Amino acid sequence: MKYPKYNYRSESSLQFFEFISEGPKGLIKKMVIYTETTTENVYNLGFGDYNESTNGINDLSVTNNGDSQKVLATVASTIYAFIEKHPNAWILATGSTSVRTRLYRMGITNNLTEIEEDFIILGYSKREEWEKFVVGEDYEAFLLTKKENKN
Amino acid sequence: MTIEQTIEKLNKSKVPIIVIDKKLERFKGQNLFPEKLKRANEILAKTGLPKITDFR
Repeated sequence: MKYPKYNYRSESSLQFFEFISEGPKGLIKKMVIYTETTTENVYNLGFGDYNESTNGINDLSVTNNGDSQKVLATVASTIYAFIEKHPNAWILATGSTSVRTRLYRMGITNNLTEIEEDFIILGYSKREEWEKFVVGEDYEAFLLTKKENKN
Repeated sequence: MTIEQTIEKLNKSKVPIIVIDKKLERFKGQNLFPEKLKRANEILAKTGLPKITDFR
């Protein structure tokens, strides 16, 4: 993505990422996590604010830290890192709210040309089927894999 | 490669420098997004994984 991004930390499997959002609300720890689904090679992407006291992640929070583009670019960047380590993986992302889903859609739309250089990206339509991502369409979920993936 | 070339390459990289932190391994095996994962599995159970060749 063409936007600046935060540096992040991860562990050896590159499934758990952590970075710090910096803005008027202070320093907020964010996590991006790729979890195995029941379908082989398909991982669910989740991200949200890490809560130290509960050791949990709030994916409903709206931080308003003035850096949503940078946060989204960082999340997108973890996709490249994750796919590098898991080249045959598919990544499925659903928004925790309709607002968050729209945010994902905007992020994809704004960077579609660049994304499509490396990935195939699909949207889960209201007809409950996967279709090639179309700008302006409403999707509940997104699915992405490397173009080279043989499937 | 000169330092300038290295910096230019890093600036253009789609992945920033990743610091490996073993402390993050404590999350392994935890389901931190149960609702999302449930919905993802429901969608996949319904549709299966699409054939990539249909979208090339």
